[in-house]
Amino acid sequence: MNNRNKKNKVLTIAYLFPTALILLVFIIAPIIYTFYLSFFNWNLIAPTKDFVGLENYLSIFTDPVNRKIILNTVFYILLLLVLNFLVPYFISIIVKFFISKMQTAYKIIFFIPSLFSLVVGAMLFSWIMNPVSGPVAFFMRNLGLTLPNWTNSGAMAVVVICLITNWKVFGYNFVLLLTGLGSVPQNIIDATKMDSIPKWRMIWDIVFPLNKSIAFYVLILTIVQGLQYVFTPISVITQGGPYYGSSNALYHTYLNAFVLYKTGNASALAIVTFVIFLVLLYLEIKFVEGRTSRYE
Amino acid sequence: MKGERADMNKLKESGWHFLLIVICLVLLLPVLFMISNSFKTLQDSYHSMLQIIPAHPTLNNYLTLDKQISLLRIIWNTFFMATIVTIGKIVTGLLSAYAFKYFSFKGKKLIYFAFISTIFVPFTVVMIPNFLVISKLNLLNTALGVALPQLCDATGIMLFLKAMDKIPNSLIESVRIDDIPAYKILKDIVVPILRPNIISIGAIFFINSWNEYVWPTLILKDKNSFTLPLALQNYISSEGGTNFPLAMALSTIMIIVPLLIYLIFQRYILNSISSSGLK
Repeated sequence: MNNRNKKNKVLTIAYLFPTALILLVFIIAPIIYTFYLSFFNWNLIAPTKDFVGLENYLSIFTDPVNRKIILNTVFYILLLLVLNFLVPYFISIIVKFFISKMQTAYKIIFFIPSLFSLVVGAMLFSWIMNPVSGPVAFFMRNLGLTLPNWTNSGAMAVVVICLITNWKVFGYNFVLLLTGLGSVPQNIIDATKMDSIPKWRMIWDIVFPLNKSIAFYVLILTIVQGLQYVFTPISVITQGGPYYGSSNALYHTYLNAFVLYKTGNASALAIVTFVIFLVLLYLEIKFVEGRTSRYE
Repeated sequence: MKGERADMNKLKESGWHFLLIVICLVLLLPVLFMISNSFKTLQDSYHSMLQIIPAHPTLNNYLTLDKQISLLRIIWNTFFMATIVTIGKIVTGLLSAYAFKYFSFKGKKLIYFAFISTIFVPFTVVMIPNFLVISKLNLLNTALGVALPQLCDATGIMLFLKAMDKIPNSLIESVRIDDIPAYKILKDIVVPILRPNIISIGAIFFINSWNEYVWPTLILKDKNSFTLPLALQNYISSEGGTNFPLAMALSTIMIIVPLLIYLIFQRYILNSISSSGLK
């Protein structure tokens, strides 16, 4: 018996080892090292690092550029929530409860852009929205209007960048949310039909509460994944410009680390982003109970 | 009265279908125009940009691409990198899912939680140390350097675990009593049963890796080591001087592989995505 236990222990370790090793070397240890770097001024190359205490963290809240970055990040989050969460949620409700055929066809088609790289998306939108030679500008010219050069305005650039990620994740989030709606028991839906309760009441009072956990999961995913997704179009189209107008916490971290070689500032910003994501993780566990606790 | 109501409902439903079809067009028309414009001359692409069938179809954009960059090499790099990542994620994912499902050990809940939490780690918090490690290992400009930090995937573990739920516990128990070693159970029973899941999860891994941009830009600086997304990025100018037919030709090459995979495994892929959201 004892022998068998020992054997089991060895087996368990052997099976978990590859994953644990990769996660340890490339995720856990790097988090600790980034935390360490956030207390130093360094340029990624120099043999010595200067200890500066909390200076890098303080500059996140005092430096005007950093303040702009934080505000932009909030703007991104709000826009992502509307475009990549509320819109697909609305459409999934339409497909589930308001039409009676072609559900699968819509699912298959909506998902297609999720297969493509965001670099392709960025290229496509910089063509569609090109102020000189793009189709949108072409139509507007015919109506006597001009498309403003949106890359010159931070706010407009942010909107276009979010639209690019929306093009990519709309179908993905739609599929997730539609699946969630599918788990609302059919007999409840039928019962409300018999009692001729209006559809919107049924959705508000029954579907939303029952679908809370998956909806919240997609909401958190929209923020966590969305902020990482917008990095690609920012990097391809605007490089954060004009004057940091379309940058956000993640792109600014990259800029500090690999363009300006201000490793300390980059690390502090990365840690702050990480803490925000941890708060979201905590909320997810709290609201979406059972997701992570099923293997006791 | 009743007939009127039914007509009203039908009308409403048509309205919704109209909206949904518009969404389909918004999502897909850009891709269609992209493919069509990649076969046009620069002039035609400007003057008749919305003509789906090119007036003077030409392969020139593709030939120019082939002259300007080592296209075959770049496609191979992308394929090679995505293959390593996919195999790595499948192997590590199956092994750890098996351990979580069939072994009992101390701290299982905590370890599972730690694994899954890595989904919430933003890439910015690991990119500096990982870049330093990869460059210390002399793996800059190599596919292995891109692949190494990504050889496991928490979402994959979650999906494999869910898939294992469909294997009857009694089946695994009965062979375990016969003292058949775990790796044999995994290889001869679990893997064959999970075959469709492994294919679809693998397809998702492969497509994601094929499209990956952020981490490769840090590691691959030499043009000969580029993957497709990096090569495409080089054709997009932020100043507005992009040669769109060329960029569209490269994009078209780039979307063929994910599109083919989706065409073949569409049902399985959508099922896996669906199950990733369920408890």
